[in-house]
Amino acid sequence: MNKKKVKSGKLERKGNTGAVIIMLFFCVIVLLPILWMISTSIKIDSEMVAAVPRWIPETPSLVAYQRFFKDYPFLMQLKNTVIYTLCSTILIVICACFAGYGVTRFEFRGKNAFMSFLLVTQMFPSVMLLVPFYNVIKSLGLLNTYIGMILVYISISVAFATWMMMGFFKSIPLELDEAAIIDGCSRFQTFLKVIMPLTLPGIASVAIFSFITGWNEYMFTSILTTQANMQTITIGITSLNGERVMWNDMMAASVISSIPLVIVFMFLQKYFVSGMTSGAVKG
Amino acid sequence: MRKSRNRKQANISFNKTGYYFIFPALITMFVLIIYPLLYGVYISFFDTNLVNKWDFVGILNFKSILTDLNFYKIILLTLKFSILVVGGHFLIGFILAHALNRNIRGMAIFRSILLLPWLFPEAVIALIFKWIFNPLYGLLNHVLMTVGLTSEPISWLGSKEYAFMMLVFVCIWKGYPMVMTMILAGLQNIDKTLYEAARVDGVSKWQEFLYITLPSLKSVLTVTLVLDTVWWFKHYTMAWVLTNGGPGQETSLISIDIYKTAFEFFDFGKAAAMSVVVFVVCLAISKLYRRLLRDE
Repeated sequence: MNKKKVKSGKLERKGNTGAVIIMLFFCVIVLLPILWMISTSIKIDSEMVAAVPRWIPETPSLVAYQRFFKDYPFLMQLKNTVIYTLCSTILIVICACFAGYGVTRFEFRGKNAFMSFLLVTQMFPSVMLLVPFYNVIKSLGLLNTYIGMILVYISISVAFATWMMMGFFKSIPLELDEAAIIDGCSRFQTFLKVIMPLTLPGIASVAIFSFITGWNEYMFTSILTTQANMQTITIGITSLNGERVMWNDMMAASVISSIPLVIVFMFLQKYFVSGMTSGAVKG
Repeated sequence: MRKSRNRKQANISFNKTGYYFIFPALITMFVLIIYPLLYGVYISFFDTNLVNKWDFVGILNFKSILTDLNFYKIILLTLKFSILVVGGHFLIGFILAHALNRNIRGMAIFRSILLLPWLFPEAVIALIFKWIFNPLYGLLNHVLMTVGLTSEPISWLGSKEYAFMMLVFVCIWKGYPMVMTMILAGLQNIDKTLYEAARVDGVSKWQEFLYITLPSLKSVLTVTLVLDTVWWFKHYTMAWVLTNGGPGQETSLISIDIYKTAFEFFDFGKAAAMSVVVFVVCLAISKLYRRLLRDE
């Protein structure tokens, strides 16, 4: 046993150097633009247009970050982004959990149609929803409101989140439901107290997925919000993208708007990676 | 299979309960997806600006799209774009997943770094690259000129030669982590004894890949391939922020064209009709994949 391990270890090690070199190469490609963003964000205005760009600024300064809070509506927009993304994520997770449990535990008419519909929604161009959405939201008087935007954010990822969630519930044996029911739990109690806690990793990954998708959202928000104080941070930043661009301000805002996502992800990464895949591998 | 189904039915005595559980998702999807979609199809039969002009035109919108050569050009451009982007994702995804699927110390750090592009908002990534590609003060031109690969600055996003490939590069950069993660998980699910047996039989690395790795990954690959292709076929944000579809129509992906038709020319009926066509194309792509990759 031990011998075998050593042998296969040797075989593996042969390819390891190559693997490390490949990964280092790609890590550099990934990190360069990100570091350049950070580097730019701590430059002063005059260094932006220097003939020789430097990685470490001559006079590092937080002036761009100060302007983030003072000169732009970014803080407000950051708050909006958090509200839209967080509220929609919570509602999406609730819908996805119920549906995931229902689909894996019950037989009912239309079940297969429901399941395949979840994937078919991925084929619709979201621009196609944009035109009707604009009209629907407008006729409901929800343009430029929190409720309207949260609804929009839900629509973006609810179908795929439900589909992911199904994979998780499928992996939990039905015997557990049976046991809980024999012990006198109602269906709802079984769902809430026995099965849900077991799918926590799945819930975490669905939540992160919806959160990333929401944070990423650009097209719907750019059309459906017309007032700066209702827009999200990504819209705010891209609106600086004009003729004369203050790259340091823009990069500072980019850094700040990316930090929440990186933090959320670093904490929950374990769940996300396993979750993203177990839904797909088994689904 | 049969047995488990029987058990399932025995376990489930009350059928209606299933509906209660899917009700929240169903009602949400009905209001937020199905209704708007049907509304979109409805609009596609009108010549409308959504405000004061509602002329029923039947299939005229579809007719004018399908007889428009430019529309086919844009569809082809978008197909070329998705094939290049998805191909890039899978090539890099495979290489990195293979590299990550080893026991090396510090692997977690590599994995975290390699996942980073997934986390940054598309609009932010587009802006970072727009700054790097900036013709006057951009990093790329500076590096190339210092090394001596080019003598004068290149307008990466403004020239017909480069804009499309630059967009493809940025989209590959942004999107490969999802594919990598999926393939990695698939690889980790493969039974290790298969490889050991193959080694005993003296199988080459390439054969190993062809006859063990690929077939075992089939189900993951099919789902990932379908999703990645249709997602990028419909891509909008980065192309919009980087190039606005320009120069000319070089990077005018179908989503951008629909967007412009609707919100710049206010021809909502035609835009909706174009969306319906895109939906059909995406559906056809996914059907095609499923047929090609179906288990015999």
